[in-house]
Amino acid sequence: MADYAGYLVYLTISTGLFGLFALGLNLQWGFTGLINFGHVAFMTVGAYATVLLSSQGVPIIIAAMAGAVLAALLGLLIGTSTLRLREDYLAIVTIGVSEFLRLVVQNEEWLTQGSFGVQSFPLPLVQFSPNPFGKGVMIAILTLIAALAGWRLWRGIFQQGKPIDLLVWGVAATTLGLLLYLSGAVALLNYTYKAGLMLLVLIALALVYGGLESLVRSPWGRVLKAIREDEQVPLALGKDVFWYKLQAFMLGGAIAGIAGAFYAWQLTTVYPTNFEPLISFYAWTIVLLGGAGNNAGTLLGAVIFWAYDSLTRFVLPQFVPLDDARLGAFRIMIIGLILMVLMVWRPQGILGRKEELTLGR
Amino acid sequence: MVDDSVKQPESGMEQKEQSSSTPSLLSAEKLCKSFGGIAAVDNAQIFVPQGNITGLIGPNGAGKTTLFNLLSNFLRPDKGQVIFDGEPIQHLQPHQIAQQGMVRTFQVARVLSRLSVMENMLLGAQKQTGENLLRVWFRHRQVAQEERRNKEQAMSILESVGLAPQADEYAGALSGGQRKLLEIARAMMTRPKLILLDEPAAGVNPTLVNQICEHIVSWNREGMSFLVVEHNMDVIMSLCHSVWVLAEGKNLAHGTPAEIQTNSQVLEAYLGN
Repeated sequence: MADYAGYLVYLTISTGLFGLFALGLNLQWGFTGLINFGHVAFMTVGAYATVLLSSQGVPIIIAAMAGAVLAALLGLLIGTSTLRLREDYLAIVTIGVSEFLRLVVQNEEWLTQGSFGVQSFPLPLVQFSPNPFGKGVMIAILTLIAALAGWRLWRGIFQQGKPIDLLVWGVAATTLGLLLYLSGAVALLNYTYKAGLMLLVLIALALVYGGLESLVRSPWGRVLKAIREDEQVPLALGKDVFWYKLQAFMLGGAIAGIAGAFYAWQLTTVYPTNFEPLISFYAWTIVLLGGAGNNAGTLLGAVIFWAYDSLTRFVLPQFVPLDDARLGAFRIMIIGLILMVLMVWRPQGILGRKEELTLGR
Repeated sequence: MVDDSVKQPESGMEQKEQSSSTPSLLSAEKLCKSFGGIAAVDNAQIFVPQGNITGLIGPNGAGKTTLFNLLSNFLRPDKGQVIFDGEPIQHLQPHQIAQQGMVRTFQVARVLSRLSVMENMLLGAQKQTGENLLRVWFRHRQVAQEERRNKEQAMSILESVGLAPQADEYAGALSGGQRKLLEIARAMMTRPKLILLDEPAAGVNPTLVNQICEHIVSWNREGMSFLVVEHNMDVIMSLCHSVWVLAEGKNLAHGTPAEIQTNSQVLEAYLGN
């Protein structure tokens, strides 16, 4: 039983940090139309900057912020060199940069220990032992975030006119959410490091989500959406299109950098192999599942993605007689299949708007 | 590559000096642009007086749209000078030119289909506080106030062009003619000094063409200047105070619509000899 609760906390952390990671991509691609196939590069920078700086005695929160800033600077570097070009160039350069960075991290052993990995770096809240009152506050925060998430999910479903398939998704996500919430509350009661990390990642996620939502609904977000639709139009109306693209790219990168810090804290040992291109495509899967250009959809996508991951991790071996390596490949294959089915059945993603796809240019 | 540098305008061209009473809002001289070996615009000039509707016509491939792109800097001229409102603008970025008060529309109407008609309009508003990332978070009230003001302004323009009932619909759901209207309305939303219209009547049904023309005339009466590229001669003749004719990238003629209609060179360029 305790084992399951521990796993559910791990699941919440994964969902939360990949939710953050995918929100960054959703800002870049879903809202601005920037094709970034190397999103993991920002995560690499965020993770390594955080652990290396904090190992040197830099306070952990400042190290994480420095990681986010460095990730944004990487965005500046990639952006200034490619954002003036056609969008496919950005796609190629980003995937190249992400592999380049991983190889640098793997080979610059003096800095990153290479493939031995960075071990025993400081972790947040690790020496923190809350009294009953502190635990109560933490559970209250968790409850608040869970309630907000549930409210937002159901508002999204009602806005779509409550179609049956969405109701099914909604009930499934709510059940899973309740399960995660309860296990999270139990974990906070018997406080462990992972429980603290879970709360931290959820708080970061809620803050980033709130900040992004107010941004994408603002005139600033309107310019981004205009760029996504047809960048000649905002240009003709006096908007500095390049600067807006750069801002979206850098902000999305910084968010992925923060996700990188949480990734490192969850792994507790970081290896270059944790940052393979596949991670970028996890983010793409999540954004496509939930509905591009929809932050709530992106979070729902993260929940579904990780629910799928753990479901197949435990259930699939019972039915499919394959060894571990093949089973791993098989699971990814099924994700591809699910995406294909989704593209046929609901191409706008789960919370996306169908009307938007039927509109002519 | 453009061959010898400064050529005199073609001999046949009617060299009309600008009427001294109305100073030029936009003047472009000796504009050249070639793609590969082909000179799309070759030593062209154009003057747009303040407060006028100026027409620009020419047979297909005459370089009208290229000239348009050169004026708004969507293309960089190889050579030449563009002066808008007393300032040289050819070193500016396209968006900076729009900020100076010269806004263009496109030959094929470009509306942002997955944004609402209202959002399309709001995008036109200039100097919005809410277009700055940090101010969205820290100047919340000011941003909301401005947004309300801009919405009112957008609504009144939409009402005047008859698109108000569609304000909350996706712009992609509009008909071709309505898109043209929206595009012009959106340009008005920037409160410009000059609007460059690229074929406002192309692909629009005759009733809507008349409507579009009426709006242009009424905005012109309120003081707005226009430069109009158009194939529809009726539109040009009824709207414009003066017309420039371009053929093969060069100035062919310039005059009042009546003068142009009877100009033998213009007829020849359009109909062949």
